Amino acid sequence: MADQSVSPELSAEALAEQKRKEAYFTASQMQLVWARFKRNKTAMFAACVLFALVGMGLIAPFLSPYDPTIAGRDKDYQNGAPQIPMFCDQNGCSLRPFLHGLTRTRSAKTNFRWVTEINPDERRYVHFFVEGWEYSYFAYDIDLPGEALDFRIPGFTFDTHLFGVDSGGIHIFGTDDGGKDIFGRTLHAISTSLAVGTIGVFISFVLALIIGGVSGFFGGRIDGFFQMITDAIRTVPPIPLFMALAAFIPDEWSSETRFFFISIILGFINWPTLARRVRTHLLTERNQEYVLAARLCGASPAHIIARHLLPSFTSYIIVDLVISFPYMVLSETALSFIGLGLKDPVNSLGVMLQNVTKSDVLLNYQWYFIPVFFFIALVLAFVFVGDGLRDAADPYSDRKS
Amino acid sequence: MLQFAQFALTRAAMAIVTLLLVSFIVFSLMELVPGNCAERYLAFKNTQGAKISIEDIQAEEKRLGLDRPFVIRWGSWVGNVFFKGEFGDSCILRLNINQLLGEKVWISLGICFASLFMAYLIAVPVGILSAAVDSPAANNALRLVSYLGLALPNFLLALMIMLFSTVVFGDSLTGLFSKEFRDAAWSVDRVLDFLSRAWLPIFILGWSATAFALQTVRALMADEIGKLYVTAAKARGIFGGRLLWRYPAKHALGPIINSLGFDLNRVFNELPIVAVILTLTEMGALLLESLARSNDQQLAGAIIFMLTASIVFLNFVTDLLLALLDPRVRHSVMGG
Repeated sequence: MADQSVSPELSAEALAEQKRKEAYFTASQMQLVWARFKRNKTAMFAACVLFALVGMGLIAPFLSPYDPTIAGRDKDYQNGAPQIPMFCDQNGCSLRPFLHGLTRTRSAKTNFRWVTEINPDERRYVHFFVEGWEYSYFAYDIDLPGEALDFRIPGFTFDTHLFGVDSGGIHIFGTDDGGKDIFGRTLHAISTSLAVGTIGVFISFVLALIIGGVSGFFGGRIDGFFQMITDAIRTVPPIPLFMALAAFIPDEWSSETRFFFISIILGFINWPTLARRVRTHLLTERNQEYVLAARLCGASPAHIIARHLLPSFTSYIIVDLVISFPYMVLSETALSFIGLGLKDPVNSLGVMLQNVTKSDVLLNYQWYFIPVFFFIALVLAFVFVGDGLRDAADPYSDRKS
Repeated sequence: MLQFAQFALTRAAMAIVTLLLVSFIVFSLMELVPGNCAERYLAFKNTQGAKISIEDIQAEEKRLGLDRPFVIRWGSWVGNVFFKGEFGDSCILRLNINQLLGEKVWISLGICFASLFMAYLIAVPVGILSAAVDSPAANNALRLVSYLGLALPNFLLALMIMLFSTVVFGDSLTGLFSKEFRDAAWSVDRVLDFLSRAWLPIFILGWSATAFALQTVRALMADEIGKLYVTAAKARGIFGGRLLWRYPAKHALGPIINSLGFDLNRVFNELPIVAVILTLTEMGALLLESLARSNDQQLAGAIIFMLTASIVFLNFVTDLLLALLDPRVRHSVMGG
């Protein structure tokens, strides 16, 4: 206290310094990782993009003005170009964005094909928080093979959407050949692909934790046996293996069953990499002094695993999960792309990419490519965040930089 | 020398065990496919107007040996593959698989190894140089390229190049041979024609492998360049390419050779999809066809096994190579 009265500025500085140091020394591992992660500008930006994309995927039904299934198709606007709302046209400006009216005609002049013409004198205004198609959250109607496994959860139903127009349709990313809104499909595709990835990552995580955990904790012969199997599985190229497994799906399965099956396959094939990491962590950690100390204190193996070993590598495991996520999304995309994964009524990124394979798409309907950019952005965001997290979780990264 | 022979034998034994395990995985996978060869063959006869009874199916199963227990069938399959190099007959096409695959195997392997070669031809010098220069701009550019290699999957790249060339050049660049050479015997002209078309799949398959190899080489070199022996060499007045090549590059090369098998895995991974997009007539496309359309488990199993076997073989070769180059590896495996 006496010091403070003599030179308050210096001591305030010293106090702040002391506080900062104290915060650093007493910080939990998660806080340290977060502090390092925040300094990485690229990773922070990627994290923002990722959150935006995931958020858009989660509230996809609210953001998309039309049902992305065949029920919400706009039969008057098939293969329609993107419609960008505007504020001004030759008739003046308005504060409320609007679209021009459309008229469809078919005559001998157009070779009897439907041709859409823009009518610049008619304005269709964009409204916000409009009522539209009904959607529900937490409503599941699970139809697994076998009667006993069918069950239904009602959930919550809403019908408010972010935007809509008073007459006709608004398709800011255009429509596909069935008249389905590409904007809505893209957003739903993001959530589907993320859901497949999440289930896949979860399954492979559980498998990896069990197999890698047993292998790493017991070591010795058990470890050798598990390592041999893991290595054998790792040598088989995964996509041919995915293909072989996905080929068993009978055509008559519903799209939901397909979806679950594909996620399970992804999980069952991607575990070896994770299992190896878990094993390596455990093998190094179990010989550390703090484990020995706990053992000498009389702690049981279960207590050591739960209280000491698991917390020692949760941050690494989280990083590994984030890193393996884009591979899941990529695998799903590749599978769906070749027609063995999810199929058209389902909106997944792979299905959306499959739609761009026709050459008349590039010539006439370039807006089919919009989902491709979302896909690339999603994968890149995951990779950057994963890399940033890995650097942040590495305790030696401070020294390097 | 004796030590090396011992090492090679251990590695060979390990490779064979891995192959056996893989063959078991592949074989059980193929067993999971609904229906078997006998049913498939008789279903074909059924379409030809013949009446099929349960007895017929059982007789056919007996003829094909499908009534034996699973382990024995696996044993005979593995035996045929290992000792005679025979994969049996395709279920749907009723043709010998060796005949069916024939030159397709070599074309596929050729394309994959060529793309691997391309990847390392680019990645090693560029990676070494970028680590030596160590400018943030080069660093970031390389990172971006590597990330794009992941985020722009090969099939998307193939698709974009194909669509682009269709629009601009009017030629889709697909297929492996021009019309007049498709069924011709091998000749100089045919090889040239093949090369004039194969560069695209080679480039596309090598694309992500290049991106990854580049990052690996750079990271390894960057680690080695900071070490004391490099500083010591500098102090002795060695500099430039001589310094890089004789000291850090030699050390960094080991793990790179080790990662070859993994990269081949990555290339094989993308092969079927790229083959389908570019309508290549080779093994990958045949695999997809046998899985997606005809459920031909014999053929699919044979192809997956061949792909994996070549990875195991490459791993074996790189292990030997590494042991030749680096005595530490020999010691580590033999336990000193």
